[in-house]
Amino acid sequence: MNQATPSWRAELHALTQDWLQRIALAADLAGLRELEVASVGKKGDVTALMRRVGTLPPEERRDYGAAAGDVRTQVDQALADRKTALEQAILDAELADDTFDETVPGLLPKRGHPHPLSLVQAEIESVFSSMGFHVLDYPEVESEFDNFEALNIPSWHPARDMQDTFWLQDGHLLRTHTSSGQVRAMQTFAPPFRAVFPGKVYRYEATDASHEHTFHQVEGLLVDRHVSVAHLLDSMRTLLSAILKTDVTVRLRPGYFPFVEPGFELDIQCRVCGGKGCSVCKQSGWLELLPCGLVHPHVLRAGGLDPEEWQGWAFGLGLSRLVMMRFGVPDVRLLLSGDTRFLTQF
Amino acid sequence: MFVSWRWISQWVDTSGVDPVAFAGRFTCTVAEIDHVIQVGPGLENVLVADVIGVEDHPNADKLHIATVDLGGRTERVVCGAPDLRLGMRVPFVPPGVTLPSGITVREGEVRGVRSPGMLASEADLGLSEDHTGLLSLDGCTAPAGTPLLDAVEVSDTLYEVDNKSITHRPDLWGQYGMAREVAAMLDKPLQPLDLAVTLGQGMPVDLQVQAPDLCPRYLCARIEDVTLAPAPVDLRLRLRRLGVRPISNVVDATNLVMLETGNPLHAFDARFLHGQTIRVRRATPGETLRTLDGSDRVLTANDCVIADADRPVALAGVMGGEESEIRPDTRTVVLEAAAFDAATIRKTAMRLGMRTESSARFEKSLDPALAATAARRFLGLLLQVSPGARITSGLADVGPFGSQPPAPIRIATTSTYLRGRLGVSPAEMADAWIDHCLQALEFQVDRQGDAVTVTVPGFRATRDIRLAEDLVEELGRHYGYQRIVSKAPLIPSRPPELPPLRRLERDVRAILVQRAGLTEALLYGFDDEKQRTRLGLHEPTADGGDLPRLGLRNAISSEMSRLRRNLAPNLISAIERNLLTGDGRQASKKGFQVGMFEIGRVFVPVPDRTLAPHEQAAVDRGVPALLDDPTAAATYLGRMSPEMRLGVTEAAARATPLPWQPIRLGLVLAERLGGGADGAKTAIPPQEVTERLFRTVVGALEAVAEAAGLGGLTVTRGDLSQPLDLLRLPVAAPDLGATWLHPRRHGLIRSGDRVLGVVSALHPAVRQRLDVPAEVVLAELDLGALLQGERLVVRGGAPPTHPAVTQDFTLRRPRTDRVADLAAALRQVAVAVLPGSVEAVQYLYGLDDATGANPERALTFRVTCRAADRTIGSDEIARLVDKVSARFGVQAAPGDA
Repeated sequence: MNQATPSWRAELHALTQDWLQRIALAADLAGLRELEVASVGKKGDVTALMRRVGTLPPEERRDYGAAAGDVRTQVDQALADRKTALEQAILDAELADDTFDETVPGLLPKRGHPHPLSLVQAEIESVFSSMGFHVLDYPEVESEFDNFEALNIPSWHPARDMQDTFWLQDGHLLRTHTSSGQVRAMQTFAPPFRAVFPGKVYRYEATDASHEHTFHQVEGLLVDRHVSVAHLLDSMRTLLSAILKTDVTVRLRPGYFPFVEPGFELDIQCRVCGGKGCSVCKQSGWLELLPCGLVHPHVLRAGGLDPEEWQGWAFGLGLSRLVMMRFGVPDVRLLLSGDTRFLTQF
Repeated sequence: MFVSWRWISQWVDTSGVDPVAFAGRFTCTVAEIDHVIQVGPGLENVLVADVIGVEDHPNADKLHIATVDLGGRTERVVCGAPDLRLGMRVPFVPPGVTLPSGITVREGEVRGVRSPGMLASEADLGLSEDHTGLLSLDGCTAPAGTPLLDAVEVSDTLYEVDNKSITHRPDLWGQYGMAREVAAMLDKPLQPLDLAVTLGQGMPVDLQVQAPDLCPRYLCARIEDVTLAPAPVDLRLRLRRLGVRPISNVVDATNLVMLETGNPLHAFDARFLHGQTIRVRRATPGETLRTLDGSDRVLTANDCVIADADRPVALAGVMGGEESEIRPDTRTVVLEAAAFDAATIRKTAMRLGMRTESSARFEKSLDPALAATAARRFLGLLLQVSPGARITSGLADVGPFGSQPPAPIRIATTSTYLRGRLGVSPAEMADAWIDHCLQALEFQVDRQGDAVTVTVPGFRATRDIRLAEDLVEELGRHYGYQRIVSKAPLIPSRPPELPPLRRLERDVRAILVQRAGLTEALLYGFDDEKQRTRLGLHEPTADGGDLPRLGLRNAISSEMSRLRRNLAPNLISAIERNLLTGDGRQASKKGFQVGMFEIGRVFVPVPDRTLAPHEQAAVDRGVPALLDDPTAAATYLGRMSPEMRLGVTEAAARATPLPWQPIRLGLVLAERLGGGADGAKTAIPPQEVTERLFRTVVGALEAVAEAAGLGGLTVTRGDLSQPLDLLRLPVAAPDLGATWLHPRRHGLIRSGDRVLGVVSALHPAVRQRLDVPAEVVLAELDLGALLQGERLVVRGGAPPTHPAVTQDFTLRRPRTDRVADLAAALRQVAVAVLPGSVEAVQYLYGLDDATGANPERALTFRVTCRAADRTIGSDEIARLVDKVSARFGVQAAPGDA
């Protein structure tokens, strides 16, 4: 109906084309955001169009309003489309990128190395602890009483030669076995109780690949009423199976230790040959593992207990030897060498 | 100790028993067998031969040609033995035979003379090590050509028993004692020993036992018209098999009887007993005796000797004297069969370093009754091996045992008790079986229902069997421990204890390994004096002496003669070795780092001065403390035998407090510096390195403190030359005056006001002595003290509602200013501005100029504030910045508020 198109139509058209083109050319999201502010932001060009409606003749206002709204719609749409496209492009770029190197080493500091004796000792302590044993610790410099006298080894006893002793100038000694804690434990705990006490022991002897003047043992002690060899057998089999992580067959044979009666050497069936006989077990089918026995009544008395009422069993296990067996250590002297070339293997 | 299966089979019917298969049972019942040795296999084709001709070898001076009769045929063989003579009987080995010694005899020529066989020595036949001459079969009555195994006593099965497994069994040191066990195992009768012998009349010598405490019994007899000769071949072979060298019929008879009964004997040549007198007495101090090994022995009053009218002629129970020993021309023999005090024999043998077959037996406490058995066996045997000999005296028997034999030991117990200790039921082990088993072992059993009184035979009563528990062992081993059905112990279950220190040890170890990346070492409890001297490591007192360390009476070497009172010296030596070698993953070169720690005991002598209360509490008083309360002591001692009660009270009287034995944590971290020249070793290590190592060690210790539940540690320098207030120290804190601590690069580690230990760079004087240029930082602290530090109380409050605000400050300060002091000053200012809102003042980093020329450094701290009731505003931060600027003259670091 109107022959002359109002001048604003061309202007709106040009403006729209200009914005659509600029939006289409936006290179990244930050640039797009700037265009958004400059176009449809509070002070933007497109926003400004709506404010111009009042300046037009009333008959044109409706058309102008519609046209300006249309511009706004087109620009909004273009912004949204461009945003989607740009985001997709980033996503595509990340997914297409092949430069990430997953093989670079981890960042946490390297761990250190526990001593193998600590490892095995901790395992043993946890096995015993889970079975109700206290884990105790007793002095290394000991009295003659606790190391010998209380264990039914009076001064004239030949067994004192069996364990060559380091004597101190003050009259004490370096304990020759962890059994020195037996009477201490009896004096500390009200029976019934069960306990293990691991630690360093000392023997006055020359060293070689299988002898060391300082080594580690763990002592086990149980005190209860009506303790029998049958209980000792059961406990030893259960505990050794847990420690050696396999079902073991054990046998007891007579062994002499003054602080137990009866006293035993406990053998385990050779795990290399299954008892048939091989070079490891010297063809006997059995490996000597530890001495044990029922606690001698003299020892119970020295511990302040009445042997009529209380009995017990005890064993002594060589920790150093167990470590050597477990890890194939060829020379016992490596254990206390402080040589990190050895220690960093664990 | 060997057991001869052939010998014991004289007294026990062992037919049908395979001795090799039986060995396993023997080990589980009697004593541990180290080896089973079979003698005989491989000798089946060896024959008895008579030497009927001896001629010189035409081509060799030392060889002969022997013509031997093999019964129906003769052979001519080449022989090199020096003792070959006409009329001799010898073993002949035909060609094609491989002997146990590994020798294969071949028919061949020896220096041009054909030799179809060989005459053999003991060594050739594998009977002993002796290859000096032929095995003489003189005295063998079998016709020539008889197989050796049929002609003489050769074949046997020997058990080599571990002597340690029979130290408590004097009865097992003779074949007859072993036979008794085997008889009981096989449930067969044991033939008694033949003790019949016709004695003469009167005393053999003028005999007195003057030391009855050392010699409970001394038996003696005189034998005249003795002819010295080799013992019969079977007896010689028997001795050989049991490891004893045959000498002559008289000496061999003493040894055979010792092996048989377990009781050593001695034979004197009567010509050399001055005054035909024997006195058993203590030696006079300084008295000497030449023993038959040719050594002169100087004696003490603790030794027991056999003397004649003038001088000692034998060291009782250990070895005879040289002069009175049996000689080829001996005609009159005086026999000694005695029992000696075990402890005396043991001490004499040990002191003189002469453990003999005799002393080894006497020190086991032999039954004095056995001496009479042995004497009669000897006399019977001697008359056989020396035809014409006459016993011209009675068997004199002197000493307290004969006049006052000890009362037999009787043990009253019950079957219920015996079975209970083994854990078997009456169905498994009947009363009748118990009685039968004990009787087979020669116990006398008197039963009244369940109750049983057991009389111990003399040969088990000297030491071995005293208590019902000992009978439990007898029954258990003969019943078979493998037959006992195992039972789970019934014990009230109760959560086990893990002492706090033990728990802490574990936690500390885990943290140092897992978080600090250190390697755990366990080192000797002895100091290494050589290293201490070389590196100048010691613990001086204020007046320049050395702090006491516990010394050994019997050190292995002078370099290991004292116990360590600090962990550091051994750790320093160890770290030096590792700096030289690398750690097995990396070689040691510039920048190589090695860090290790030890958790272990040190030993600190209890000082002579009066102990402070906290020290007194740490002293282990052991036995005497037991006897403090008279009522408790009465109960305690009342349960003991008089002998044991005496032992315990004497031990208590002798007892002195044990030294302090605290558990310490020692930690050492080292980095190798560049170059190997002395220049590099004497230069001051780069501050960056020292600071980095120091901070790593402190960081590890902070993690340790955290594991111990402590609120935190402070590390500040002290004056190491001044003694600290002892009450502020744990009983045995590391020695703060030690020469390895750096007077200006160390810190005392405190929790609250208590010093737990010290961290320090290695003193430059020690560092420069290391064989490798390195900076070393070490720390040592008392783990027990760590448990007594100020604990952190953990609370689970709600998260804060208002945000925290941080502000960083960079202060330019003189290099002598300490970070801890500046942080404290900064905190003071912040608290004045924002009371109640300062959460933390942290050190972030410091910038120093590398040349060290600038006396100042820049240190950046971060202040974190948070109020409970509001968000802290920028105006408040602005005021903080103003105040800090006013106090320290600096600007806030930009961009943080």
